[in-house]
Amino acid sequence: MRISWKWLAEFVDPSVLPGCKDPQVDGPRVLSEILTSRGLEVEGIERLDHGFEKVVVAQILEKKPHPQADRLSLCQVTIGQGEPLAIVCGAQNMKAGDKVALAQVGSSLPNGMKISQGKIRGEISNGMLCSESELRLAEESEGILILPENAPLGMPLAKVLGRDDIILSLKLTANRGDCLSHIGIAREVAAAVGTKVKFPQFPKIQEKGPQSLPYEIELNAGPMNPQFYGCLIRGVKVGPSPEWLVKRLESLGSRSINNVVDVSNLVMLEMGHPTHAYDASRIEGGVVRVRQAAPGETLPLLDGTEITLQGFEVVIADGKKPIGLAGVMGGGNSEVQNETKDIFFECAEFDPTLVRKASSKHQKKTDASHRFERGIDPAGLSTVVSRAVSLILELAGGKVEGSHWEHLPSRSSDVPEWKRQISFKSDYLRNFLGFDSGSPDFAPNRVKEVLEALGCKVISMPGNAPQGEWIIEPPSYRLDLAIREDIAEEVARCVGYAAIPATLPQLTSSPVFTYSSSNDFAVIEKAKDCLKGLGFHETLNYAFTSSAWLGQLGMRSSVELLNPLSEEYRSMVPSLLPGLIRNASENWNRHFGSEQPAIRLFELRPVFSAAGPIQSQEQTQTGVQESWKLSWILSGPRYAEGLRSERGEVDFFDVKATVEGVLTALGTKGIRFQSFTEIVSKENPLFHPGKSAIVLAGNRIAGVIGLLHPGKAQELKSRAPLWMVELDWQALIQLSRKSFDVPAFRSWPVFPPMERDYALVVSQDVSAEKLCQVALKAGKPLAKTARVFDVYKGIAVRVIFYDEGRSLQESETEAVSARILESWKKELGADLRS
Amino acid sequence: MIEKLNAIGGQALNDIENAADLDRLEQVRISILGKKGALSEVLKGLGGVSPQERPVIGGVANDWKRKVEDSLENRRKSLQEIELNRKLQSEKIDISIPSRMPHRGSLHVITQTTRRIVQIFSKIGFDVTTGPEVETEYLNFEAVNIPADHPARDMQDTFFLGPGVVLRTHTSPVQMRAMRRQKAPVRVLCPGAVYRADDDATHSPMFHQIEGLWIDRGVKMSDLKGTLQFLAAELFGKETRIRLRPSYFPFVEPGAEVDVSCFQCRTRVSDTCRVCKGTGWLEILGAGMVHPRLFEMAGYSNGTSGSGELGEWEGYTGFAFGMGVERIAMLLYQIPDLRLLFQGDIRLFSQF
Repeated sequence: MRISWKWLAEFVDPSVLPGCKDPQVDGPRVLSEILTSRGLEVEGIERLDHGFEKVVVAQILEKKPHPQADRLSLCQVTIGQGEPLAIVCGAQNMKAGDKVALAQVGSSLPNGMKISQGKIRGEISNGMLCSESELRLAEESEGILILPENAPLGMPLAKVLGRDDIILSLKLTANRGDCLSHIGIAREVAAAVGTKVKFPQFPKIQEKGPQSLPYEIELNAGPMNPQFYGCLIRGVKVGPSPEWLVKRLESLGSRSINNVVDVSNLVMLEMGHPTHAYDASRIEGGVVRVRQAAPGETLPLLDGTEITLQGFEVVIADGKKPIGLAGVMGGGNSEVQNETKDIFFECAEFDPTLVRKASSKHQKKTDASHRFERGIDPAGLSTVVSRAVSLILELAGGKVEGSHWEHLPSRSSDVPEWKRQISFKSDYLRNFLGFDSGSPDFAPNRVKEVLEALGCKVISMPGNAPQGEWIIEPPSYRLDLAIREDIAEEVARCVGYAAIPATLPQLTSSPVFTYSSSNDFAVIEKAKDCLKGLGFHETLNYAFTSSAWLGQLGMRSSVELLNPLSEEYRSMVPSLLPGLIRNASENWNRHFGSEQPAIRLFELRPVFSAAGPIQSQEQTQTGVQESWKLSWILSGPRYAEGLRSERGEVDFFDVKATVEGVLTALGTKGIRFQSFTEIVSKENPLFHPGKSAIVLAGNRIAGVIGLLHPGKAQELKSRAPLWMVELDWQALIQLSRKSFDVPAFRSWPVFPPMERDYALVVSQDVSAEKLCQVALKAGKPLAKTARVFDVYKGIAVRVIFYDEGRSLQESETEAVSARILESWKKELGADLRS
Repeated sequence: MIEKLNAIGGQALNDIENAADLDRLEQVRISILGKKGALSEVLKGLGGVSPQERPVIGGVANDWKRKVEDSLENRRKSLQEIELNRKLQSEKIDISIPSRMPHRGSLHVITQTTRRIVQIFSKIGFDVTTGPEVETEYLNFEAVNIPADHPARDMQDTFFLGPGVVLRTHTSPVQMRAMRRQKAPVRVLCPGAVYRADDDATHSPMFHQIEGLWIDRGVKMSDLKGTLQFLAAELFGKETRIRLRPSYFPFVEPGAEVDVSCFQCRTRVSDTCRVCKGTGWLEILGAGMVHPRLFEMAGYSNGTSGSGELGEWEGYTGFAFGMGVERIAMLLYQIPDLRLLFQGDIRLFSQF
């Protein structure tokens, strides 16, 4: 919200601001600090005269052509004192006697131009006569700005233009509706500096009762509209507002309409309560009725649009039609126009939730709805009406014919519903805020002082009795003060949060740190560390992407945003690979140079799916399944640096090694790799069917590893072979070592092992793994390990034999060896190479 | 005979000394001590020497033989050394040639920052818990005192996935889940990704938060201050001060914005400081005392407690705080644009 320094100063004398020498100079800054420290954050201070500081009203005494340049003229101007000044000017639209805006030497104009004394084509110029565009008063302008004849010589231009003000921009929190006005801010300032608000003086409008109006006021919307003040003024002259009012509204960001509407806006900015003026002649049927809207009913609004009401809204209606959307905007069918003679003035209270619903539904965020949503002062209606009506009478003439306040019992002046008392024990504040018992900042008298400065009534205070009680009655406009915690905040806020000491909370039971003890967290950390060690960078991609991109990869999302920022961010990802593939191609695009860059990226994040409808159930169920994936990609040279001949390029076995590395780090047991079958190939069209594998956890598929399908790679214009891994995190965790499980020591063989190498010729279909399995099975119990150590014109397998309890005889190994060879031959058709 | 021996011996020592390499030395050895070597020839001729002279000449011959052998051995050693040195010379490699460097990986700065913060809080007894990123509107808003059609909803533009289903806009629903689950004491940190419909240089539609919650008997606002002071000192350096400013978050009362003193202009605030923009303070946190409404929503009963006072939730109070991880990471690592963090750019990753 914008606050005018000049206007605020009418309510609180700025000279009372502490620690400020000249209120005009450092007042706004000091005030900003005070407000910010009290929770009303000042985001910016804008001097409206910025760039105008040295621009003053001058008069042209003489104008003659520049001797050296046809298109320039040479002027003598005066600012009312001192010697006349010579000015070279490029414009021609002025004549002797005109009042103009002179940027004096030393000016720095809003458009960035700096004015210094200079010679233009041989003639001295002591400043510049400004155009509107140079002053940023208009986008474009022709010639210089000619000021009204009555502009006083030497007066700062800012003052002539009504721009001699300073605007504070406040970022108000949603709980402080009471501060959405100059009086509201003045109340805070006064409370902070210990002074009183100087309220504007105006005659009070006496309520004349229902008979004084030609309309009946009917409140038919129940608690949606607890009170309504209507006032009929006859014989007004609608016309332009006086200059001060126009300028005040403009400097606060609002446009002048006419004197009546401007008063309504001014009073809202002053007191925070939106009001509305209707053209009385357009109210038909002798009634003003606040009622629930009828579904399908239409209402033309002031902004020229027409809305169709749904029925939940509340409207102000006459006997025939709705004439306003309650709390949001008046109707176009009852608008005050230049011909209007009689006006019906409304000041009402509407339910905040209702107003918010109506304004969101119809997308009409107005200054009025903003204030009603946050709550207006329920006790302030007659003051607001008096203020507004007296201003209308002053500026537009006319006479009050009738006025009536209609209200529900909840707003009766005897015991209104908003009146409430908040009570708490004497030690509550200390126990809750944690200040020291002797702290003078929070002594009971200080607390009382603080609360009273805020307009609270202290009905009772504990005094010295420890069992005593505080009873506080907040002012009508502080709707946010409802419970004792609110009072605690008010006290702390006003005394200053700095007065609260810093202590550490007490551990009343042993700390539990599941982050390291629970399997999930510990394993996440371990996996990330392991991949980092294997040379992968962790990447983070948005959880949503475009369905087009997913489609290109043969994927589809079952979870979509209903209101995405753009199509790019619509589909919740069903896999981390789309993000990683995009990362790869973006890195390729960014890379320059002839060598392929090394791309090694991983991500550990949830992916999203839904089997049924996505809707909230039992407060905590969403229908969306989040399952975590651990995925990574690699491409490019095997080493980060080194000579080209030695760096190599990653292949399947590098990928497999990274998976095995992670599994080892996590202590994962029971994971196997299996070649793609035809079905698997179909299910994973992103992968090269021959250079990929599925990762099996028991019988369950726990992941896929392999090469990006060359067809896809071509479609995606992939610059290099891209290897990919996607593992199901939950499956991995289940098979991984629990964090309290540490491996137990196993002794190594004491007696020397024996080693046999076999060069085998075997069909392509027989896997290395199978050869080893057969060897170990046939060689039981002495054959302990079998592994392939070379693939060259066949397959070379090395088997190691030993016995834990004794040295083996050559003959024993021979016998086992023979059994192994026999099984290879029989089961796999493998022969020793001759 | 003796002269002959002396001549041979002298010549031999000379030849040994002059042998340029091991091959030449071997030739010299053969020419003297070989079967047909000069000294051997002389010794063969000993047969023709008178028995009286024989021991004398034999002694001289053996002396020479020993001398020659010693000399050969010495020369061989020194030649070997020369040879080895020459070989070593020729084997010198250029150690500045690039190594076969393995790839160096990194953790995302969000992960690194989260870990640092988690480690700091774990020292004073906080545990970590997480929750789903897709949440019900109820837990994300209503349960943390942001009712429907309340202006506080304006603070967070929400992505919807279905009726009553949202991408969580903060990690507060995780706190609510923790309160519903364990009641008290609750000492949890809730890190995780959150989502808001916002996209510019300072807002990304997905970002990360860490919220903390401490609920127990007798928890005071001063405990919140001390906890955050501890965080600030551990994260930004011992001298770091904190400043609490009143603010409003629906789930706390009193509420505060928390600033830390700028770690860049530690000793003297500089007007040109790029980190704090000359203010001397960095806004990093929102915090406050848990609003009573949350206790109610989490199912604590509002009855009489030890003090017999109504409005107490089984005697429990609590504090909560929340911070944006991106903001802190950007401050710590001086990353100028938030969007850099989500572009998968290896040039960024390899720096940290």
